[in-house]
Amino acid sequence: MSVELISANHAAALAATLAGRANRSARGFCSGVYPITPSTECMEFLCGQEIEKGKVVRADSEHNAMGICIGASAAGARSFTTTCSNGLAYMVENCVAAAGYRLPIVMSVANRTLGPPWNIWADHGDSLLLRDLGWLQLYSADNQEVFDTVLCAFRLAEDPRILMPVLCCMDGFILSHTMAQVEIPTQEQIDRFLPPATIPQRLDKAAHTLGQMETPHQSVVHRSQHHQAMLGARQVYSEIQDSFTEIFGRRPADPLVSYRAEDAETLIVSMGTLGVTAERVVDQLRDQGQAVGSVRVRMFRPLPDTELRQLFGGKKRIAVLDRDISIGFGGALWGEVRNFADRDSIVQGYMIGVGGGDVRPEHLLNLLAELEQSEESAAPKIVEVA
Amino acid sequence: MNEPALNGMALTRQDRSEPLLRSGNSNCGGCGMSNLMQMLRRASAEHELKMVVPACCAAVTSGGFPESAFSIPTIMSTFASAASVATGIAAVAQLNEEKTRVICLAGDGGTYDIGMGTLSAAAERNEDILYLCYDNEIYGNTGGQRSSATPAGAATTSTLHGKQETKKDIIGIMAAHRIPYAATISLAHIDDTLRKLEFALVSKGFRFLHILSPCPTGWKSEPAMGIELVRLAVRSGLFPVFEVFDGERYQINVEPDFSGEALTMYLALQRRFRNTGVTEESLRPSIERYWNYLRLMSGRIVPARRN
Amino acid sequence: MAQKKTRSTPQSSTTKMVLPDDITFPLEIRLHGRGGQGGVTCAKLIAAIYAQLGLNVQTFGDYGAERSGAPVRAFARVDRAPIRNRNKVYQPDHLLVLDAALLAPPVLDGVGAKAAILLNSPEAAEKYAETFADFRFGIIDATGIARKHGIGTSSVVIINTTLVGAYLRLLELPLEVLEDVYTGMGLEDDLAAAKEAYQKVQVCQPSPRATQKTAKTTGGQLETCLPEVKPQTEHFEDIPSRLKTGSWSTQLPGYEDYVAPCNHACPAGNDVVGFIQALKTSGPDAAAEVLLHTQPLPSVCGRVCPAPCMHECNRNQMDGAVNIRSLERWIADHSDFRLQPEKAAKAFSLAVIGGGPAGLSAAWQLALRGHQVTIFEKESKLGGVLRYGIPVYRLPEEVLERDLKRILALGITSVCDHPVDKAEMARLHQDYDALILSKGFSDAYNLAAAGESLDGIEQGLDFLARSRKSESGENLVGDVVVIGGGNTAIDCARTALRSGASSVKLVYRRSRDEMPAIEEEIQDALREGVQLLALRQPVAFRGVGQVAGIVLAEVELGEPDADGRRRPLVTERTSEMNCSRVLLALGQQNTLDLLPDCWQIRKDRIWQKDQPLNIWLAGDCATADGTVTHAIGNGRLVAMEALAKLSGTESTPTTTPQGSVVAPAQVRFSHFPVLAPHQDRHRVLETYQNSFEEVNLGLSGQEEAERCFSCGRCTQCDTCLVYCPDGVISRSENGYQIDEDYCKGCGICVAECPRRAMDLRDKGLSDVR
Repeated sequence: MSVELISANHAAALAATLAGRANRSARGFCSGVYPITPSTECMEFLCGQEIEKGKVVRADSEHNAMGICIGASAAGARSFTTTCSNGLAYMVENCVAAAGYRLPIVMSVANRTLGPPWNIWADHGDSLLLRDLGWLQLYSADNQEVFDTVLCAFRLAEDPRILMPVLCCMDGFILSHTMAQVEIPTQEQIDRFLPPATIPQRLDKAAHTLGQMETPHQSVVHRSQHHQAMLGARQVYSEIQDSFTEIFGRRPADPLVSYRAEDAETLIVSMGTLGVTAERVVDQLRDQGQAVGSVRVRMFRPLPDTELRQLFGGKKRIAVLDRDISIGFGGALWGEVRNFADRDSIVQGYMIGVGGGDVRPEHLLNLLAELEQSEESAAPKIVEVA
Repeated sequence: MNEPALNGMALTRQDRSEPLLRSGNSNCGGCGMSNLMQMLRRASAEHELKMVVPACCAAVTSGGFPESAFSIPTIMSTFASAASVATGIAAVAQLNEEKTRVICLAGDGGTYDIGMGTLSAAAERNEDILYLCYDNEIYGNTGGQRSSATPAGAATTSTLHGKQETKKDIIGIMAAHRIPYAATISLAHIDDTLRKLEFALVSKGFRFLHILSPCPTGWKSEPAMGIELVRLAVRSGLFPVFEVFDGERYQINVEPDFSGEALTMYLALQRRFRNTGVTEESLRPSIERYWNYLRLMSGRIVPARRN
Repeated sequence: MAQKKTRSTPQSSTTKMVLPDDITFPLEIRLHGRGGQGGVTCAKLIAAIYAQLGLNVQTFGDYGAERSGAPVRAFARVDRAPIRNRNKVYQPDHLLVLDAALLAPPVLDGVGAKAAILLNSPEAAEKYAETFADFRFGIIDATGIARKHGIGTSSVVIINTTLVGAYLRLLELPLEVLEDVYTGMGLEDDLAAAKEAYQKVQVCQPSPRATQKTAKTTGGQLETCLPEVKPQTEHFEDIPSRLKTGSWSTQLPGYEDYVAPCNHACPAGNDVVGFIQALKTSGPDAAAEVLLHTQPLPSVCGRVCPAPCMHECNRNQMDGAVNIRSLERWIADHSDFRLQPEKAAKAFSLAVIGGGPAGLSAAWQLALRGHQVTIFEKESKLGGVLRYGIPVYRLPEEVLERDLKRILALGITSVCDHPVDKAEMARLHQDYDALILSKGFSDAYNLAAAGESLDGIEQGLDFLARSRKSESGENLVGDVVVIGGGNTAIDCARTALRSGASSVKLVYRRSRDEMPAIEEEIQDALREGVQLLALRQPVAFRGVGQVAGIVLAEVELGEPDADGRRRPLVTERTSEMNCSRVLLALGQQNTLDLLPDCWQIRKDRIWQKDQPLNIWLAGDCATADGTVTHAIGNGRLVAMEALAKLSGTESTPTTTPQGSVVAPAQVRFSHFPVLAPHQDRHRVLETYQNSFEEVNLGLSGQEEAERCFSCGRCTQCDTCLVYCPDGVISRSENGYQIDEDYCKGCGICVAECPRRAMDLRDKGLSDVR
């Protein structure tokens, strides 16, 4: 174990590199990559690595980067890529395919606003494109978490009960380009944590066809199987946390990171780095005697509904922060979690930091102060941050 | 003597005991792609194959889940992704020191149009892929719309009165990538077909084969006449049979007779050319132009040999 | 799908019409067809008809991923009220089945008692009378009609527009509505087919005794046990897909009895393709085995046959006929193969009178089948015209002897120097089970010109016979004129040249193109120095005692006569030419003077009053065909007929094989490399005088056999197998077999077969299951 001062993008790439090497005794590692700000550093780092039995293909587009990952994974290799924003939008078709084949591909996304008009800063709108497409989604809030999440993502994706792609998200620039100390395990530890990847449906000797035509009945059953497998990810993840803890001596973050939430009357619910800011605000307000807590949704797919319902129980007010906007509806997270609250809770949605605005504690304090005054839920609000 | 065909290969183990494309598949009767697969079977007995099929007729051919009409491991890729998915498979085969030959089986839509960027990139990276473009000059899977491989004068469901633009020169494009091997294949010339498939299978790097693939459904022609149509296309000079090594060395394999009879017959046997105004005379200049170019590139002003 | 782009359904003007009483609404229609037939468009046409009648309609297809030929369904729904049903049709009022092979339970699901059913089938309604007794039932050969009208392709016929005509009739709707709809949709071209279907559909009303039982209905009920589906992640086994695509097509390729033109043309009935292919693949002995079944004289025919087979050879259309004659010679000269006679169940004893080619052929056939044969020959040796009519430089003695030896080796007794007269005929008739009379031609024709009785003018045949009989040949001097254009004339001319003539002129009344002699022989004669005077007719001979000159009239050619040759018209323009000898070669006539008085000839058999005797005529004395090959063919035929009569079996053997002859257009020339024929080698001498050595040396090898197209006869060239898109053709013991379960009937194997050994056949329609 060593500690290195690296960006979150590099942390993701380093985790992928170590994971790739860990599969050298099996079918190796192959990745198709393509640059896009702010994910570029991740692919650059990967391109600079020597990976035993590994190859990084410099693709001609995100669509084909994912195509290469599909081919690699279908051939039994461990596979990883990175992109964001319009790159992810361009990749979506092959993301659908990757999930449809049930291939355990891991992708790191430095969330960025979709354009045009062009905007390179953080927004969750890109990864939310994949919300319904059969990918697990994990959102991180610091560099170590990014590193750990990518490692866990391989374990999750390749677990025989799961076998589907996993998306590891971090806020573009805010996290992706922030350097911080990251604990890096030894390759030997990684090897222990990540056993050789087994992809049972891979193209091997026997003639069979992946991704062929199917009947409505077969589609509904396959989707149902995919859905059930994803729901099982919560249990599998907790086993992975145990194994991680045992090998690396620290526990990776939970699907829901709750902070002083149990006895809170008001909850702030968010994803990504917003959650860290929310936790600072919680501390501030707790010092002022207000019973405020925070819940950071790390695992957006599958959404931990039971746990959310449990956490939301008895809360008077719930502020849901979205760094995204589902135009014509409101925040995506708000839309999903509001139903877990008690009937008489006030659940207020806020779209904040959309397009990459720097959300500071004052912004949250202001909107919480306003929320404390409200007697009922209002339409979701878009909050401008200066 | 040319009998038995292919020097009696059908009796030897050079012919796979099981076809690559099994009987009981869903292709139309008289499909050129089926024909190609039967020829590939003969060329590939000694090879372990894996295949990538983008959206195209062959994606339907493979059969409904969980059955397989192809007797080799196959993945159906998205429309534009054949060459990139194949890149991944080929890379992993290489990492594992496997002799697997990775094949893309793509139609003209997935090659000339939507998959062009992917194809170009894989060619530029010189991936170890054999790319087979079976060209029926139409989006057959969607019911017969024009593609950039549709020849001028062909009526399609999206060019009712005949396409105006000329067909894209795909081999020219591929040759410009300086790939080790690019060739056209006439299914009517089986010895040449077999030789090219065999050569392409053992070669390394990116190899591209363009196969004129008769489509009775889209060409509105008699299914039985498919091979004869290819023969006429070759005879008339409309479909030159040649190969390009390393993007530089051009070799003409079949010398046409450039007969008006063949060209007229080719047009007359396909209802897609009916009432679109295309004639022997209207096609002649572009055929001549292309052949002048080919002769120049092949360094042979005098025809090589008749066939 | 649709055979042409239909314009949108016309709605502007509706047709006023009273609907039949028994149409109740909502009306639901279901079609079962195959991809490519136009089922979806058919449903649209039907909907358009009801729309034309002012009703609300909807129509839709049940789309699958399969292609041309796979089962598909289409639906239409009609109502007076707006239609709000978005489901498929489970209980159709009208059921249209576009392919009788689809008539299995799922097709008939949910069909209620009052339903009307229309079936596309070429069969008679009776076949389905029992099955559909409870329904109003129509049957029409829409495929046949549409194919006739050229709608679609011959293997994928589009029948939708045709079938709708029959549908209208089934419902007793008038044709007028169809015209409106088709015109509105730009389908005018298909109206004729629809009208024909309207006229021809057979309609059966529900039987009154019908119990009105309802067909077993499973439709409309939700299936409760759907099959299990493996997860994608457990999908790694090879499960071959085996769609029974054989049911998609109406045609199936197979071997067809096509006959090669050479076989068809051979008067001897030789299996020409058979022996050439045997030579090619297995060598002269194998070829001889094929050949000897019909040909006892291959060494002879391989030299002197006019070879009609070569005139008909399809390779004439490409690069020249196969040199069949010389291939036959090659086989004869390079094989000592002997056929073993069979053991006859009951051996008969037969006499053959006349040891020429017809007699030898008859004797050969009889002996091969194990019968006792005796040949009676008036000359001192067997052979007839072969020995005494054909010069040795064409047919050397030892060559003839080789064939004769092979024939006699079958155990045939030959009695030479045994002329047969009337009394002898009667005696032989008593002594033998049957006689075959093959005495050949009798007298040669004369010219009937003035001075014909002068010395020095004689029948060429007499000259040839003398020439053969004397050891050193006959000495001729001076200028010789031969009159005639057949092989005997050429033989006379060339023999005269060899016998010392200072010049030989051949006078023929038609042009060279009309000369019946073998072309190669004419060329040889000219090369050796014979001069040809064509379009000349001798009208008189000059001379005192001995002929000294000949008067020739110029001839013009008129209209073709019965045998297709242009009729010679003798003009007044004459010229005179000196000559010292004239040989007449004008053909022979046929007289039979050895029959007892009360016997007559009827056809080729001898009758005594109204009783047929066991005496048959064979060869030139019966047919006057005048060639060795004809005589051989006829000899065989007559022998077979005699045997059939003797053994009491019915048999009508023919010389020519049965079946369609392969036309040049049916040969795929592109399969064959261009290759000029291998020519015979010739002995070239400075002078031919006194040289009776064989001039034609035949072929130098058997490569010529490679040029044979093998028309109509499979050579197992694998072309069909290699080109089959679906890999359903495989080698079998004697050729190829086709997997009917999967053959889609595309016909590429037939189109690509270089030699038309296969054809597509319509499949028999399967029974109602």
